[in-house]
Amino acid sequence: MSHTNPVLTKEKAVDTVTPVKSSRRRIITALAGLSSAAFLSGCATNASQDTFQPKGPNAQMIHDLNLIVFPIAGIVGVIVCVLAGYIFLKFRDRGQAIPAQSHGKPVIEITLTVVPALILTVVGVFTFRTIFDLAETQDTELIINVTGQQWWWEYDYPIQDGIDQPIITSGQLVIPVGTKVLLRETSRDVIHSYWIPALNGKKDAVPGRIHLLRLEADKPGIYAGQCTEFCGLSHANMRMEAVALSKEDFAKWVAGQQKPYTPPAANTLAAEGETTFINQCARCHQVNGIKDANGKPIISAPDENVYSGAAPNLSHLMTRNTFAGAMFDLVTEECRADVWEAKPEEFGAKYLNGVTKDCLNERDLRAWLRDPTAMKPMYADPTKLEKSNGKYRGMPNLGLTEDDIDKLVAYLMTLK
Amino acid sequence: MFTPGSKFFLGLSGLALISAVLYTIFINPSDIGAYALFGLLLSGALVSGFSFYTRDGDSTSEAEAVEASAYSPAPSFWPIVFALGIAIVLLGVATNQIVFVLGIAVLFGGGVEWTIQSWAERASGDAEFNSFVRHRAIGALDYPGLAAVALGVIAYLFSRIMLASSKNGATLILTIVSAVILAFGFYVAKQPVFRGKAVALIVSAASLLLVVAGVATAISGERSQLTKYAEEQHFIKEHRECGEEKSKYYDKKANNTVSLRSAVLATVFVENGKVRAQMIGLKKDVDTITVPRSNATNILFRNLDDKEHRLVVNLGTEVVAETGVKEKVGTCTQKTGKNQEQLLTLNIPKPSSAEQVYSFTVPGAEGEIKVVVP
Repeated sequence: MSHTNPVLTKEKAVDTVTPVKSSRRRIITALAGLSSAAFLSGCATNASQDTFQPKGPNAQMIHDLNLIVFPIAGIVGVIVCVLAGYIFLKFRDRGQAIPAQSHGKPVIEITLTVVPALILTVVGVFTFRTIFDLAETQDTELIINVTGQQWWWEYDYPIQDGIDQPIITSGQLVIPVGTKVLLRETSRDVIHSYWIPALNGKKDAVPGRIHLLRLEADKPGIYAGQCTEFCGLSHANMRMEAVALSKEDFAKWVAGQQKPYTPPAANTLAAEGETTFINQCARCHQVNGIKDANGKPIISAPDENVYSGAAPNLSHLMTRNTFAGAMFDLVTEECRADVWEAKPEEFGAKYLNGVTKDCLNERDLRAWLRDPTAMKPMYADPTKLEKSNGKYRGMPNLGLTEDDIDKLVAYLMTLK
Repeated sequence: MFTPGSKFFLGLSGLALISAVLYTIFINPSDIGAYALFGLLLSGALVSGFSFYTRDGDSTSEAEAVEASAYSPAPSFWPIVFALGIAIVLLGVATNQIVFVLGIAVLFGGGVEWTIQSWAERASGDAEFNSFVRHRAIGALDYPGLAAVALGVIAYLFSRIMLASSKNGATLILTIVSAVILAFGFYVAKQPVFRGKAVALIVSAASLLLVVAGVATAISGERSQLTKYAEEQHFIKEHRECGEEKSKYYDKKANNTVSLRSAVLATVFVENGKVRAQMIGLKKDVDTITVPRSNATNILFRNLDDKEHRLVVNLGTEVVAETGVKEKVGTCTQKTGKNQEQLLTLNIPKPSSAEQVYSFTVPGAEGEIKVVVP
């Protein structure tokens, strides 16, 4: 016989069940909200790394394949989930007797083997065709060496038709529109992965190996990318941008990159900045053509100071729009928007203007020179370099004074 | 007063003390030998004290001795092996690392055998059962250990035979021996009844033959070609002869690593006595190869001529810190025959310039390929 007080039981039920129901409802609401937000974020039209907005034939091939594979995979996924859910609910353990067990249903087994095999065959045919098309390199028109290191990308343009002196740059990859560009990717330290979603899929950059990736852009513009292989502390800040210029503008850009070095005028702040650069920066950063007071070329030695053996070559720095592994803009937000949102026919001229005095993002550049480690996580603390044999991964704090920074900014502005 | 055991270890400690002092003064106070001798001194003193305290473990000599255990250890040679191990370890500390490692192996082997024997003898009152458990415990270590030693001996003796034979002779011997072993295995497997004695007889005869041939060839020495290689330091990784060939025995170690071959920046050919190059992605031949700075870069060299050639990369000049003399910097592939390939992996830390001109050349062939490092 039960001696439970019915009133008390009811109160207990109210006290215990309501909070559980309430918290469950909150969790479900939160999950639904998050799912909706994630789903709706796919509808953004201005997402710079949207894989569903191809801007070149290679990315278009991947997109076309997606249009076939995604619905098939989606339908299969929905069928599997619904069936699994139905089975979980229908046959869940309610204390019923275990039904009679039978072994082997040839019709079902053959159907469940043949149908997936057919689906995979259809998907496979389209996938393999796309893979082979993307791997085609015989019709290459321009080759560029792309080298990843912690945490920036270097681009060098070997001597070939239209380029009679090698060009070396970083942060922004400049390519001509409508040209089949072949990237030869490698890495100097760890595995990285190069991905400009609007122009092609991703490809790993592996030390000691050369991996090929084809890029081609339909229209002039800037296409954003991001390293997609975890590569250490600042992986998330290892960005890149592909800048597509018309063929005429690309030729102008090449000519600009091959211009010889012009030292700043004597007795200017920039000339003092050149001296500061030689004393402080030239140990790692190369500026092609720079000479010391005796007229001897200054050759940087990043291999002696940096773990990867390289630091960005700063020749013609102010023709780029970014610095520090494309993490920061060299131009102000307004000027950046002016270039990024320019019409295709105006884009080239605006980009080739480079960084003007009015457009310089002096705030970030100065902050970087003041203390790079405060701007970007790097292994650049001189007291903690045992694992890298005393070499830096990234740029250390050079302890520059505000006076040094003034001079350096003035000098860097001359590197066009 | 002092027991024989404590006297022995006390003497050993005294000897170690004298040796350690002399070693520290005349040889090297911070050397591992000094530490070993001082360690011996301390351990000897410890054991001496322990021996003195326990009256050498002779419980019957004490008035309060309890009844002696029925256990009496059987004669064993493992303590001798263990002691031999200690001696070899000490010898190794003073002489050579290999001797030291050998001593550790002997010490470990002897110690394990001794421990297990000692444990098994007291496992029960039944000697037969004790023997059974001992073999069961030690078998798991004995057989793999002996097999490893036997395989090592076979490999060593066989390698002596191979190294003493000519290149073609070694190939022939290896082919015949492996074929005979395979055929013998098949023959034994096909027999309906396993004839253990016959197989043992054949294996014994083959082992004897191997030992005799191995010892004989070990005494006669390696073939003259290998001796010459060693004299000319061809076995050193950095060995390169980028100019005229000095030795007719120069080894052509093909560097055909598959992973590297699939990741070359450019291919340099020599054909009809002329040098040419191709880069990945470019259809035309190039006369300049742009190599990224400070980056491991693979260059494939393909010889299409009848004559043997090698690829040489000239990386300018460098002042040698010790002598102050300017010397040419560069490296090269091994020589390679017609339709064969060699790989060259470069890592050039400094950019090329008017002062530092880099190039690929092939001695004995016309032309050069410029190397530009931006």
